[in-house]
Amino acid sequence: MRVLTFGWEFPPQKNGGLGVACFGLTRELLHNGVEVIFVLPKNQETAGDARFLFADDERLVKVLRADVSLKPYLQSDSTVDVIVGYDSQGRPIIRSRTIIEEAHRFAHQASLIAQKEEFDVIHAHDWTSYLAGVAAKIVSGKPLILHVHATSFDQAAGNDVDPSIFKIEQESFAMADKVVTVSEYTKNIVVNKHHTPAEKVEVVYNGCEMEETATLPPTLAELKRQGKKIVLYHGRISIQKGVDHFVRAARRVVDVDSNVIFIISGSGDMLTQIIEQVGAAGLSDNVKFAGALWDEERDRMYQSADLMVMPSVSEPFGLVPLEALQHGTPSVVTKQSGVSEVLTHALKVDFWDVDEMANQILSCLRYPVVAQQMVNEGREQMRGMSWQVAARKIQCLYRSLLQYVTP
Amino acid sequence: MLTVCPYFHVHQPYRVKKYRVFDIGNDTEYFNDSSETDLNNRRIIEKVANKSYRPTNKILKELLDKHPEFHFNLSFSGTALDQFEAYAPDVLESFQELVATGRVEILADTYHHSLAFFYSVPEFKRQVKKHERRIKQLFGVKPRVFRNTELSYRNDLAKWCEDNGYIGIMAEGWDKYLGWRSPNYVYRPAGCSKIKVLLKNYKLSDDIAFRFGNKEWVDYPLSADTYASWIHAHHGDGETVNLFMDYESFGEHQWEDTGIFEFLKVLPEMVMRHPDTSFKTASQTVESYDVAGEYDVPDVLTWADTDRDLTAWTGNDIQRDAIAATYKMEKDVMKTRKRDIIENWRKLQTSDHFYYMCTKWSNDGDVHAYFSPYQSPYEAYIAFMNALSDLQLRVSHCLAQREQQELENQQSEVDTEEPQTDHPKVTPAPEETTTQKTPEPKSPAEDRKISWWNKLINKTPFFKSSV
Repeated sequence: MRVLTFGWEFPPQKNGGLGVACFGLTRELLHNGVEVIFVLPKNQETAGDARFLFADDERLVKVLRADVSLKPYLQSDSTVDVIVGYDSQGRPIIRSRTIIEEAHRFAHQASLIAQKEEFDVIHAHDWTSYLAGVAAKIVSGKPLILHVHATSFDQAAGNDVDPSIFKIEQESFAMADKVVTVSEYTKNIVVNKHHTPAEKVEVVYNGCEMEETATLPPTLAELKRQGKKIVLYHGRISIQKGVDHFVRAARRVVDVDSNVIFIISGSGDMLTQIIEQVGAAGLSDNVKFAGALWDEERDRMYQSADLMVMPSVSEPFGLVPLEALQHGTPSVVTKQSGVSEVLTHALKVDFWDVDEMANQILSCLRYPVVAQQMVNEGREQMRGMSWQVAARKIQCLYRSLLQYVTP
Repeated sequence: MLTVCPYFHVHQPYRVKKYRVFDIGNDTEYFNDSSETDLNNRRIIEKVANKSYRPTNKILKELLDKHPEFHFNLSFSGTALDQFEAYAPDVLESFQELVATGRVEILADTYHHSLAFFYSVPEFKRQVKKHERRIKQLFGVKPRVFRNTELSYRNDLAKWCEDNGYIGIMAEGWDKYLGWRSPNYVYRPAGCSKIKVLLKNYKLSDDIAFRFGNKEWVDYPLSADTYASWIHAHHGDGETVNLFMDYESFGEHQWEDTGIFEFLKVLPEMVMRHPDTSFKTASQTVESYDVAGEYDVPDVLTWADTDRDLTAWTGNDIQRDAIAATYKMEKDVMKTRKRDIIENWRKLQTSDHFYYMCTKWSNDGDVHAYFSPYQSPYEAYIAFMNALSDLQLRVSHCLAQREQQELENQQSEVDTEEPQTDHPKVTPAPEETTTQKTPEPKSPAEDRKISWWNKLINKTPFFKSSV
């Protein structure tokens, strides 16, 4: 079986959940004997053994006016600068295009690739690749799976949904043979907001890599030495992520226990607003901004924290609590997240219920047994969430679609 | 001769409301949830009364009226009786009517449906006595056969019951301890010489309690006729078939639409249709049969799930932590001699609280295997521990007050012994003295002692001059 896959990002480029998911899924599909042709919009370095095609020789230089710290999900009017060629002196010619334009160009090139290549199924990841998937289907007549890692509703946290992205999503879902979502939570959005028939939508939870993590020297050693408790937010600072609710909960917590320090790690378009909120709430002593942390710095922070909070307003899956668990840190997560469906061993709260969020934070710090058990049993549970499980489910979908196609 | 000994266990806990950290020190009502959730105790009692207690008692009364040979047993937790009294008095009356026939025996139990025997025998004994008084008061009878929370059992519990005058005790008829032997005989607990143990026939009991409404079950739908024939099949290889189950099996665990009420209505008749088959109460069963052998249970045995042990209550760290924290308070709680504090502490001992914290099967995603009014075991633990923290505060506050009073009493004795003192008797606030007169922070108890010593010497001229 050969699959023509369209994606927008891929490791080792520094990126968010989408690239990680594409990598994990592709690796396990290859392992199971599925041939994967992976098409990316721009030439880049790639990890793994799939056959990669690049839709363009242009190079992506930089994403402007959109935050790349964690998840480079973009608004339709965000622009990207691309190298479209080189002048006679060998200097790059750089042009700006909107992301929507890019998605359309990708689709055009996808139709050319689909004419040349031989394959059985088309699989496209996230909205920037949906049009490419649809174009490939129109050219080849092969069945199409659209894989939803996020929707325009998540990014907008329910308000001011980007109409151009929504339109692409809705029209593409209508064209797809199957729509895969990463959680029941996202399935509900796709069914209720995009009006996709429920029987067309399948949930395939993301996997995660249970790696042995090295114990790193603690960060914030001085605070820890003073016996402070550390509560971490790690992620983009945007309306979707609910950091404002986190700060309100922090106020409630500090009213009861001033020994708790809140660390906000990340950057984003809401950063200034959050800094102002912290100041207005009189929390400058208890809330610290760490900037966007990556790799070892991030892992050290995970290990130093007593508790991680993922206050998302709308989170299709949410890898951060699982990463924190790997480093031995338990989590409070919102019920408006996919990960809350698969991780039993976390505290769960509605994003708007600031009082309960504060109660859970305080309780978790107050009763160390509960934190320890969530880590021990949560890590055990994580072993069952492999990409292999996800890949097997995807393969079943491929096969079920092939039944309807004459070779 | 084959007799059937049914016992239905009636229990409702006081569920702890969503008690938050912020409530500690501010709210002493742990059980008064008034939301539309299953944490609202009144709401649950009303719901279960309509689904189970009222219709089932009506049927049971009709059966007793119709069949003079029909006998059975009931066991009640005190927490259920208290809630009937408060929220559904007619349910309590209907139970009293059943017992008044003289053919319904009430079993001994712990008042608070607790696992106290395994943590504190003195507390266990107090709860059993309290239960006995309550049963006497409501039903005018004294239980003679004992059953423990969740049918938990161990050799030393049987011994305790024997030493305290019970003629029988109930336990799970578990293969591990029975071996090739049948549960359908009366046995002697290991280490005992008088008391007899009645063993639950778990196959026949669970056919009703767990499998009755299961459409996947090969014997679904089960008719009373078929079921009676399974009982009759034991003629010749047994003396008593002991059917032990939750009372709420009728109408609450098995809903009306499974046909459970129709089944119950005709079951006694079907059973007694066979000559030589009748019903007995637990005492009658104990007195009718000699022991067939010894039942030796060195480790805790319960009627719960496939493990038949306490792991559903004490299997994980948060459960063990919560239960240990509860029983650790015993000495101080009893010292307060305050009824409301002791009663709240006992309500928190009810085994259900620990059951809600169970994570045994949650890794398989089978969260529904355990019924819980909480959204997760952790939420249950947090609400419980916060309430317990408040109780701890109340206990230490009460003891501190008492200590203060005692010292005041002592001091007034000193005052009377020193009639020449002309200092007016003033009682400074304890906080004042602790902060002002003891610069080095010590443990609170030590603190208080020192400050009171200071107060004493400052007030008594004789001592003051000698310092």
